[in-house]
Amino acid sequence: MSADAPTGFAAEQGLASCHTCGRLSPVASGRCPRCDTPLHLRKPESLTRTWALLAAAVLFYIPAMGLPVMRVSGLGGGEDSTIMSGVITFWQMGSYPVAIIIFTASVLIPILKILALIWLCLAAGGKLGGSSRALATTYHITELVGRWSMVDVFVVAILACLVRLGSLMTITPGPAALSFAAVVILTMFSAMSFDPRLLWDQRRRMTTPAP
Amino acid sequence: MKRHHHGLAWPRVDPDEKVACHFCDAIQDAPALKEGEAAYCGHCGELLYQNRPRSLSRATGYATAAIIFTILTHCFPFLSMKAAGAYTELSLVGSSIALANDGYPFLAFLSIIFTVIAPLVLTGGLLYVCGPLQYGKALPGSLALTRWIQRSEPWSMLEVFLLGFIVSLLKLGHLAELQFHIGLWSLVALVICIAGAMAGIDRRELWDRLEIAYRKNNPPATR
Repeated sequence: MSADAPTGFAAEQGLASCHTCGRLSPVASGRCPRCDTPLHLRKPESLTRTWALLAAAVLFYIPAMGLPVMRVSGLGGGEDSTIMSGVITFWQMGSYPVAIIIFTASVLIPILKILALIWLCLAAGGKLGGSSRALATTYHITELVGRWSMVDVFVVAILACLVRLGSLMTITPGPAALSFAAVVILTMFSAMSFDPRLLWDQRRRMTTPAP
Repeated sequence: MKRHHHGLAWPRVDPDEKVACHFCDAIQDAPALKEGEAAYCGHCGELLYQNRPRSLSRATGYATAAIIFTILTHCFPFLSMKAAGAYTELSLVGSSIALANDGYPFLAFLSIIFTVIAPLVLTGGLLYVCGPLQYGKALPGSLALTRWIQRSEPWSMLEVFLLGFIVSLLKLGHLAELQFHIGLWSLVALVICIAGAMAGIDRRELWDRLEIAYRKNNPPATR
C-alpha cells in the first residue's frame, strides 16, 4: 500500500529524520529524543566529505593496481603477482569463472563505484543531469556492491595462511593488498557520507524558479 | 495478555506519527501496516518501511543459530592442506594472523574486524535486543547496542570471505591434497543465518518496539 500524499518537505519545516532510527523530530532539539543520535537536516558536509574520500580512494587505487598483491616464493626464486597479472594467468589457464570473478570484484566494481559516486556528486551539485529513477538505482547499487571488492584481500589472507610449504612454495601478501583494502574502505565511507536527499534538493531548486 | 498479535501492526508510542522519506525528504503519514505489507513514499516511490512477518521471533531464532555456528566456526578449521610433508590449516583468525606474521598487522586488524568482530556484534546484539523484546522488555544498554548493530552491518563481510574461499580453492585445486572440515559448513550456515537475522526485522519496527519497552521501564517524565 502507498502512504498518503506528502505534506511538504521535512527540511523546510525544520524537521530532521534521525540517521539511526528514522524518527522525525525538530532539528533544534539537537539530539534524537528516541535514540540520542545527533540530528542534522542533511548529513553534515556531505558533498565535501564524499569528494575528499573519493579522491583518496582514487590515489590508493594506483598502488593497488601497480604493486604486487602477493609474492609466491619457492625453489625457483620468487615471483610477484599483481591483481591484473593474476586475472591474466587464470584466463590463460582456462579458469574463466575465477578470472571473471576477480576482474569484476577488483577492477570493474571499484572503477564503476568511483564513477557512480562522481556522477551522484555532480548531479547533487547541479552540474550534471540524470533522471531521478536512474540516480536512485545508482545510489542503491553503490551502497550494496562495494564490499564485495574486499574478496581479493581475503584471497591473499587465505593463501598466505595455507601455502606455507617452506622452501618449496610460500605465499606472502604484498603491499597492494593494503592499498586495495584502503580503496574499498574509503569508497564505502564515501558512499555512506553521500546524502541522497541532496539530489532531490537540487531537483527542487531547478524546478521552482528563483524569486 | 498477548503482546504480539499475528497479522497486526506493531505498537507505537504515537500512532499519528509522520515520517520523512529518507530519500527525498517528503513528509507523509505513517500508517500502521499488517504483516507482509510495506509502505512506499508517495513522492519518489522509495520503500519507507515494512512489517515483516513474526519479525522478533525470526530475528531471535536466526541470531541464536548464528551464535552456535559462530562457536563452531571458531572451534574447527575450514580446510587442511597436506603437501610436500607439510600440514597447514585454515581458520578465520588464522588467516588474519598470517597477515600479521607477514608484516601487515593493520591489514590483519581490519580482517579481524570484518570477519570476527562485526559479525559478532550483529548476531550477539540482535539476540540481546530482540530476545527480551519479544516479551516487551529492553535490557540495559539496548539502545546503544542497537546503534552499534546498525553501524556494524556494512562491515560484516563473512559472505565476501566465503567467496574469497571459493576463489582460493580454485587457485589451489591442482596443487595439493585438500580436506574440508566442520568449520567450513558452519561458516556457510553462519552466512545464511546472519542474512536471515538481518532481513528478519525492519529498522523502524525495532526502534518503535524498543521505545515502548523503554517507556515502560522509565516513565516519560524522567526521559
